[in-house]
Amino acid sequence: MNGLSALLGRWPVSLRVPLLVALLMVVVSVAISERVLTRLAETQSRHLAQLADAYLDGLSSSLLPIVLHRDVWETFDKLDRAADLYGGLQLVRVVVADADGAALASSDPREIATGAQLSNSFLERFPEAGLRTDFATGRAYLHRTMLHQQRQIGAIYAIVDTSHLMRERREVLTQLVITNTGITLLLALFGYVAVKRMVRPLRVLAERLQEGGRGAVVPIKEPFPRGQEAQRLFGAYNSLVDAVGEREALAHRLAEEERHASLGRLASGMAHEINNPLGGMFNALDTLKRHGDKPDVRSKTIDLIERGLLGIRQVVGAALVNYRADETSRPLRREDLEDIRFLVGPEPMRRSVVLNWTNDVAGEVDISAASVRQIVLNLILNACAASPTGSVVAFAARSNGAALVVAVDDSGPGMPADARLYLSGEAVPERPMGNGSRLGLWVIRRLAHEIGALIEIGDSELGGARVVLTVPIAREKELAHVA
Amino acid sequence: MRTTFSRHGPRESECTRLCRRQVLSGLGALAAVGMARPAVATENGPLRLALTPVLMISDLDLLESLRGYFAAATGMQVELLTRRTYQEITSLVVSGQVHAAWICGYPYVKYRERLSLIAVPLWQNEPLYQSYLVVDAERQSNDWRMLRGDIHAFSDPDSNSGYLVTAALLAEEGLRPEAFFAKTFFTYGHRNIVRAVASGLAQSGSVDGYVWEVMARVEPELTDRTRVIRKSEPLGFPPIACSRELADTEPVRRLRTALLSMAENAEGRDLLELLGLDGFSVAHPDLYAGIARKVELVERFG
Repeated sequence: MNGLSALLGRWPVSLRVPLLVALLMVVVSVAISERVLTRLAETQSRHLAQLADAYLDGLSSSLLPIVLHRDVWETFDKLDRAADLYGGLQLVRVVVADADGAALASSDPREIATGAQLSNSFLERFPEAGLRTDFATGRAYLHRTMLHQQRQIGAIYAIVDTSHLMRERREVLTQLVITNTGITLLLALFGYVAVKRMVRPLRVLAERLQEGGRGAVVPIKEPFPRGQEAQRLFGAYNSLVDAVGEREALAHRLAEEERHASLGRLASGMAHEINNPLGGMFNALDTLKRHGDKPDVRSKTIDLIERGLLGIRQVVGAALVNYRADETSRPLRREDLEDIRFLVGPEPMRRSVVLNWTNDVAGEVDISAASVRQIVLNLILNACAASPTGSVVAFAARSNGAALVVAVDDSGPGMPADARLYLSGEAVPERPMGNGSRLGLWVIRRLAHEIGALIEIGDSELGGARVVLTVPIAREKELAHVA
Repeated sequence: MRTTFSRHGPRESECTRLCRRQVLSGLGALAAVGMARPAVATENGPLRLALTPVLMISDLDLLESLRGYFAAATGMQVELLTRRTYQEITSLVVSGQVHAAWICGYPYVKYRERLSLIAVPLWQNEPLYQSYLVVDAERQSNDWRMLRGDIHAFSDPDSNSGYLVTAALLAEEGLRPEAFFAKTFFTYGHRNIVRAVASGLAQSGSVDGYVWEVMARVEPELTDRTRVIRKSEPLGFPPIACSRELADTEPVRRLRTALLSMAENAEGRDLLELLGLDGFSVAHPDLYAGIARKVELVERFG
């Protein structure tokens, strides 16, 4: 039973309902057929009994004086004529016996000759009086004793063919089966169509949800079905889609804001980088104005100005490379990581943190340069922010041909458990953690997911956290194609 | 007749649907009325003519044709009477309750002192016929002695062809029917003999050769199931006879004329066609000498 339930449970409801309808109809059909056939059998038996009584009454009254005189011919003649009169009874054989149990005449003298003693095997098939029906053999047996002045003078034994009654029952049964099968199939088909129509909104909804799981969640735009439930369902789904859309838009906005914030910090660093040489250059200019006529002073001062300008050009160049829009799909070069070192340079200085830089990446690596730079930039900024003054932040990058591995160690108190889970979890969080103050983590997580990178959080030898970013080189391309 | 039908209800619709048997039972009731109020054949009354089951009296059309012909030919009202047994018919004619009767040669011989011949039918242009011994068509032998131990069907104890001839045949061999046959019964009709043998009720039967031949023409499906194994010598055909007292009365004279002239007019020929006969001729008592010898033989044997 449980197996059947499990099997049924796997079938779609559009099959289960018609199947249940069909099963129900079969049960109803069997019940109705049984009642019809029982009533038919009762009616047939009653009619047969009535007809048999009428036959025996008529025959015995007409035969009585004849049997009394043992008139063989008249007995036979009466049987012969009665067979025509009682056409409703399909007589197989009629025997009129005398008081001694010998045949006086039979309707089939060749089988039971006049004067032949009726055998026990013949007599035992007949009831004491009246009718006995044997539907198995398709025969009914009639017996009537003929009495005259309270003495038995003879008996009538008749065998009637009832196979036509069985045939009639079989025909009725066949009709019932055909009709009920037709109705069952019709109702099952109707059930199938009706349920199919009923579950169509659910199917549409399921398809949309599956599509949503694979990519974008799309609202249902086709006209809503008529049913109230379906309309509510579709309405609720569309509201859900709207809410998801709004949330994603919010997330994008937050990401943009974070980007701007990062930009602001970078701009501040850049200003600091430019401001130092700028001050020197202004001093050099003053020196030139005052002592420009001295060749050695002029030469040193111009060198100083040139180094200052070179430093400014390097800062501006790194910033340009980092933020050029068409740079997103460019392969990562060793210099990209070196640019980051230069870009974040002011931050460790500001915090009096030593940045240990190890860059073993050689040549080009087929990984999106922009994403890696964004992730590394954020990881280093976060590491600097977490490390106390005077401590060390370590950066190490290497490429082994299959993957780019970047490790950032800090000397901070270690990463909180929720932040660890947030960064290294399997599913990409749909929104920034907490109140949005740690947007950097969310940016790292999103970008890492986009390029198929794995983030592992561990404990650093420096005392703080160690974040290892592993970016598969081949996989990055596949994802790019899928995207 | 009225008495009988009133018992079943006098509705016309029912009466028109009466079957042959009911009409015959009506005729039987008529006879019963006649016996209750003994009728005597008179010169002024209707011509009363009794018929033995020699004829195929079950055919109501034939009876009506006979009545119609005799009524037209004699100019008298005609009353036809039928009975189940020869004895009843013989009684009617011997006692003068009917003007004439178509009887068998055997009762004529028995009562020839009191009866007078009116005419004798011509079958195959002779006033003669034969008695047949018939068996089931499947039986092989043609020897009548093989019938020993049979259930045998006779027509009537007063029938020449349906009893006397076979009884005489057995008497010639020193046998009696009840000893030779395992069982015998009477069917009171030659057609019934053929039915009894064809159905297997009897294994053999004694039947009027004329009736068997007519049946072979009109009911071959019945006679085909029987086979004739012995035909007797030709014997006098059942005559139309009357009581000697009535022999010279006007009704009998008219009847004789009607019979003898039957082949001379169209209606008569039609009737003869129905009967399977060629006509009627004047009969002489010597015609029945052969039957008389058989009667003597059987009576002598006891």
